[in-house]
Amino acid sequence: MHIHLDWAGVLTGQPAQWILSGFLTTVWVTVAGIVLATVLTVLLLALRLAGGAVGRGVVAVWVSLFRNTPLLVQLLFWYFAAWNLLPLGFRQYVNDDHAFSILPGDVWWFTPEFLSSAWALGLFTAAFLVEEIQAGLHAVAKGQIEAAKSQGFSELALFRWVLLPQGLRNAWQPVVGQYLNLMKLSSLATGIGFAELTYQTRQIESYNAHALEAFAVGSVLYLLLGLVMSLLFNAPVWWRAARQERTLARKEVQDDR
Amino acid sequence: MFAGLFSASVASATEAFPVQAGTVEFRQVSKCYGNHPVLKQIDLQVRAGEVLAVCGPSGSGKSTLIRLINQLETVSGGEIYVDGKPTSTLKGKALRDLRRHVGFVFQQFNLYAHLNALDNITLALTKVHGQLPHEAQKTALALLERVGLRDKAYHLPSQLSGGQQQRVAIARTLAAKPHIILFDEPTSALDPETIGEVLQVMRSLAHSGMTLIVVTHEMQFAREIADRVIFIDGGEILEQAAPEQFFTAPQHPRAQRFLQKVLNPLHAESREP
Repeated sequence: MHIHLDWAGVLTGQPAQWILSGFLTTVWVTVAGIVLATVLTVLLLALRLAGGAVGRGVVAVWVSLFRNTPLLVQLLFWYFAAWNLLPLGFRQYVNDDHAFSILPGDVWWFTPEFLSSAWALGLFTAAFLVEEIQAGLHAVAKGQIEAAKSQGFSELALFRWVLLPQGLRNAWQPVVGQYLNLMKLSSLATGIGFAELTYQTRQIESYNAHALEAFAVGSVLYLLLGLVMSLLFNAPVWWRAARQERTLARKEVQDDR
Repeated sequence: MFAGLFSASVASATEAFPVQAGTVEFRQVSKCYGNHPVLKQIDLQVRAGEVLAVCGPSGSGKSTLIRLINQLETVSGGEIYVDGKPTSTLKGKALRDLRRHVGFVFQQFNLYAHLNALDNITLALTKVHGQLPHEAQKTALALLERVGLRDKAYHLPSQLSGGQQQRVAIARTLAAKPHIILFDEPTSALDPETIGEVLQVMRSLAHSGMTLIVVTHEMQFAREIADRVIFIDGGEILEQAAPEQFFTAPQHPRAQRFLQKVLNPLHAESREP
C-alpha cells in the first residue's frame, strides 16, 4: 500500500483557516478554563479550611461528583441540560452578536459552546486541584506549624506566610500537570460541537479526506501548546532558583569587601 | 532585676497578656493522653531569670512539661501561672501574646524551609510584631552576628549544618525579646562536633535576665550553667537540687541510676533491679 501525503490539502486555503481558528479557540478556552479552575480552587480551599463541617461537606461532594464522572458526560450535561434551565432572556442575550465577545484571533467567547466548555473544564479541574494543593499543604513539616504557633502567629498568618508558600511549591508540578490535562481534555468539547482544534481537524477530514495530515497537524499543535505551557509554568521555579543563587553570590561578594 | 533591660519595648498597654518578669509556676499540673498519664500533679516554681535544667529518661514527660507552658499541649488538670497569671484558659489574642513572650527552641530546629536565615528571623517580626521590614532586618542581622552566622544570612536552612540551623532558630527566638525561653533537647539532633557551638550560644543567654528552662541530656550544660536541676521520671519530679548536689550526691535511687547510665554508660548496671 502506498501512502501519499498531501500537506497542502491541510496547510493552505480553507483547511488552514480552520486549523488556525481551531488552535486559537483551544488556546482561549484553555486560558479561560485555567483561570476559572484556579479561582474555584481558592474558593473551595477557603470553604474547606474555614467553612466548618458544612464547608467540608460541600467540598467533599464537589470533589467526588466531578472527579468520579466522565468529563464528556459533564460537558453534555452542562450544554444540553443545564443550559436550558437558564432564563430565556439570558440565553437569547448570549446568542446575540456582541462586539465584546470577540477575542484576538477572531475567537468568540460569549457563546453557549465556549461558556459550557470553559465552565465544565474549570469545575472538573478544580476538583483535582483542590486535592493536589491540599496534599501540598499536608506535606509541610508539622514542626514548622508548631514553630509558627510558638511565635504567636494567628491561624490566618500561619496559613498565608508559612503553609501556603510551601504548599504551593510542593504541589506545583502536579498542578501544572492538571493545567496540561485541562488543555488536552478541551478536545472532548468537540462532543458538544465546540469548534476547537479537534473539531476542525475532523471537519477537514470530511471536507477533503486528508485525515492523516489533518490529525498529524492537530497533534503537533497540541504538542507545541503543551510544551509552551510547560515552559511558562516552570519558568517561575527556575527563576526563583536562579535568584537564590544570585543573591548568595552577590551578598558574599559584598561581605568580602 | 535584669528583666528591666528587656521589658521596655515589648510591654505595650494594648497587650492582652503582658509578660514582664518571666516567672513560671506549676500547681498540681496533670497531663494525660487518653487514659495514659504523662505528668502527675506537678508542682514547680521557676524564678525570673533562673536557668533550670530538666533531666530524665526518654518518655518521662519532660518535653511535655515545657510544651504545656506555651500551650503546644493543653493541661488536663491544675494550672500554670506565668508572671503570676493563670494561662490554661487563654485563647485567641491573649494566647498569642503569651506565646510571643515565651520563646521555644525545638529539637528539630523547625526553621521555615522556604525562607533564608534572615527571613526566618524577620517573618514573625513583620507579620506578628508589626515591625517595619528595615527595622526587622536590622534586628535580624544583629542577632545573626551575635550567634556567629552573619555570613550565612542568605542561606536556606537546607544549606546550613544542624548546628547552624539551631543557632538561627535561637536567633529567631531571641528576636521577639522573650522573657522566657523553653529549650526542648536543643542539641539532641546534632552531630557531636556541632553541639559545642549551640551550647556556647545558650551559655551566653544564661543569667542575662531571661528565664531559661532547658530539657537536656547535656550533663555538662546542666552542671556548669544551670542554677537548678530537676529530675523527672514516670511523670513525677523525683528530685530538685543545685547542680553540684544533684551530680555528686543524688538522693533518689532512680536519679542515681539515671546519672550512672548517662555519666558512665559503659559501666552502668545493664538491667533494672
